[in-house]
Amino acid sequence: MTTTADHAAAPLAGPVPRTSTLRLVRSELRWVLRRPRTLVALGLLLLVPVAMGVTLVLSSTPAGGSGRGGPPLLGAVIGNGLVLPIAALSITMMLLMPLVVSMSAADALAGEAAHGTLRGLLLAPVGRVRLVLVKAVGVLTVAALAAGAVAVGGWVTGVALIGGDGLVTLSGTTLPLGTATLRVALAAAWVAAQMAAVGAVALAVSAATDHPLVVMAAIMAGLILFTVLGGLSALDWLHPVLLTDGWLSLADMLRDPLPTDNLVTGLLRAGCYALIGLSLAIARTTTREG
Amino acid sequence: MKRRKATLTAAAAGTVAGVVGLGLLALPTSASSAPSLPPVGAEQLVESVLREQPPAMGGTVKVDNALGLPAIPGVPEGSALLGGGETRVWLDGHGRGRAQIASSGREQTIVHDGTTTWRWDSSSRTAVRSTHPDAKKPEGTVDPSAAARQLISTIRSSSTVAVDGTARVANRDAYELVLTPAPSERTVLREVRVAVDAEKRVPLRVTVLANGSSDPVLQAGFTELAFGEQDAGLFKFEPPAGATVKDDERKPDRNAAKDHPKPKIVGDGWDTAVVVDLPKGKERGEQDPLAMVKQLGKPVEGAYGRGWLISTKVGSALVTESGRAALGAVPEQVLVEALGSTR
Repeated sequence: MTTTADHAAAPLAGPVPRTSTLRLVRSELRWVLRRPRTLVALGLLLLVPVAMGVTLVLSSTPAGGSGRGGPPLLGAVIGNGLVLPIAALSITMMLLMPLVVSMSAADALAGEAAHGTLRGLLLAPVGRVRLVLVKAVGVLTVAALAAGAVAVGGWVTGVALIGGDGLVTLSGTTLPLGTATLRVALAAAWVAAQMAAVGAVALAVSAATDHPLVVMAAIMAGLILFTVLGGLSALDWLHPVLLTDGWLSLADMLRDPLPTDNLVTGLLRAGCYALIGLSLAIARTTTREG
Repeated sequence: MKRRKATLTAAAAGTVAGVVGLGLLALPTSASSAPSLPPVGAEQLVESVLREQPPAMGGTVKVDNALGLPAIPGVPEGSALLGGGETRVWLDGHGRGRAQIASSGREQTIVHDGTTTWRWDSSSRTAVRSTHPDAKKPEGTVDPSAAARQLISTIRSSSTVAVDGTARVANRDAYELVLTPAPSERTVLREVRVAVDAEKRVPLRVTVLANGSSDPVLQAGFTELAFGEQDAGLFKFEPPAGATVKDDERKPDRNAAKDHPKPKIVGDGWDTAVVVDLPKGKERGEQDPLAMVKQLGKPVEGAYGRGWLISTKVGSALVTESGRAALGAVPEQVLVEALGSTR
C-alpha cells in the first residue's frame, strides 16, 4: 500500500512547512525507488550501452568500416569508446527512456487513483499543488536516474571495452578524457531535461485518468505522432514546436567547438513542455473530486 | 475556494506561457526592419568588396534551397551543403581558415593552415591532406578599382547592377546589391541579390530569385557572425588517432584536363549554356551517369535525337542519348540551340 500515512502525518509533525515538504519528497522518493519495476527498468537501461559496446567489440570491422544503415553515430564508436555513452543516450532517448519516465508518471497519480489511494492523499491536509510538485520531483528523479544510468553504463563500457585516447569528435579533433567526460555529463543532463519534459506531460495525462496504462499509451502515441510529423517536410513550420524535433541535435555534443544553438533551443522547448505539463497536472488535480 | 481559484489562474497562466514560448520558438527570427545607411554607388560597393581582405571572423552559414531538384536515389536528403545544413566558418584574416559542414550524425571539416589543406570526413574517418607550396597569390598586383570597373562593365553588358536598399543579416547592417538580367537575356532567373556588410564590406548573404516564384530558390547566408580575433588552435589540424590519412592524389589540372573533355561555352551573360560530353561512368566503377539521368529526367526529342530533360527552378540540363549534356540557367529551347550549335 502507498504511504498515505506518511503523507498525512507530515504536516501534523510540525508547523514548519519546509521540513514537511522535504519529508514528503523523501517519502515519495523512497516510495518510487523501492518499487521493483523502477529498479528493473533502470537496470535494463544501464545494460543497453553495455550490450551495444559488447556487440560492437565482437563485430567490429577495422576503422573506416562504418557500414550503411543503422544509427549514424554507431559508426563513430569503433575504437572511440567515449562516443558510446552519447550514442547510447541518443538511441534510448527516442523510446526506451520516455517509456520508463511515463511509467513512473503513470504510477504517480493514475496508479494511486487505480489503487484507490489517491483519495486519501487528496483528503489529507497536504495542498494539492504541493502534492503534484512532490510527485513531479519523483518523476524528475527517475528521468535523471535513467539518463545517468545510460551515461554511466556507456562511459564505463566505452572506456573499459573499447578504449581510445580521449574522444575523437565528429569534427576531427581529439578531446582529452576529462573534457570528454564533462561532455558526456552535459549530454546526460540535457537528455534528463528532455525526459523531464516528457515526464511533466505524462503527469498531466496521469492526473486526468484513473488508468496507468492510458498514460503510457498516450505518451508513446504522442512520441510516435511527433516523429511522423517531424518527418514530413511539408510541415516545416510546425517542426520547431515538436518536442522530438531537437532530439537529434544531441549529436552536437560530439562536435568541436560545441555548437550551443540547437541544444539551447532544445532546452527552451523542453522547458515550455514541462511548464505546460505541470500547469495542466496541477489544474486537473485541483479540480478533481476529493 | 478563493485559493483554488488562484491556483487555477496560475495554472492557466503557466499553460499559456508555455504555449506562447513554443510559438516564439517557431517564429522566424528575421523580423527586424531595414537599417538606414548612407547611400553608396554600385561601383563603389563592388570595389570596396574587392579591395577588402576578409577580416578575422567566425560565423555560421546556412543554405536554404528550394531548387526543386529531383530526389536522387542513393543520395540521402539533407546531405552535405545544400540540404539546409549548417556550416561553421572561421577566418583568421591572413589566409588561414576552417569550415565545418555539419549534417545529421556526421561532419566534414576543412582546415587550411596556410600551406596545407586538410579535409576530414567523420563518416569515413579519413583525413585528406593537400599541400600548396606556392600558396601565396599575387594579390597586390591587381588594382581593385580597375578590377571593379572591369567587372561591372562586363556585368552591365547583360544586366543592370544597382544598390537596392539595405538589409539586416546576422545582426549586421548590410547593403543589398542587386543584379537583374537585361530583358534580352533568356534565363529562368529573375534576380540575384548580394547583401554586403556596410562596415567590413564582406558579402553576408546571396539570394537567387527565379521567375514565377516570390520565395528565394536559393539562399546562402550567415545566421551568426562575429568579427575579431579567432582562437589560433582552430587553424591547425592534427589527424586523430585511428584516422586514415591520405595525400590528395589529384594533380592540379594537367591530368584532369586530359581525363575530362573540355566543356564548351555557348552564349554569354545570363543565357550561357555549357555543353559537355559525359564521362563514361562504368569504367570508373561508378554508377553510369546516363542511367541516372534516364531515371530522373523527362524524355524529350529533337534535332539532337533522343534525350532527357531535368529542369529545376534555377535552370535545366538536357542529356542526349549519345552522352552529350547541355546545362545552364536557361529554358529548354536555349539548351537545344546550344546543342545544335556545337555539333
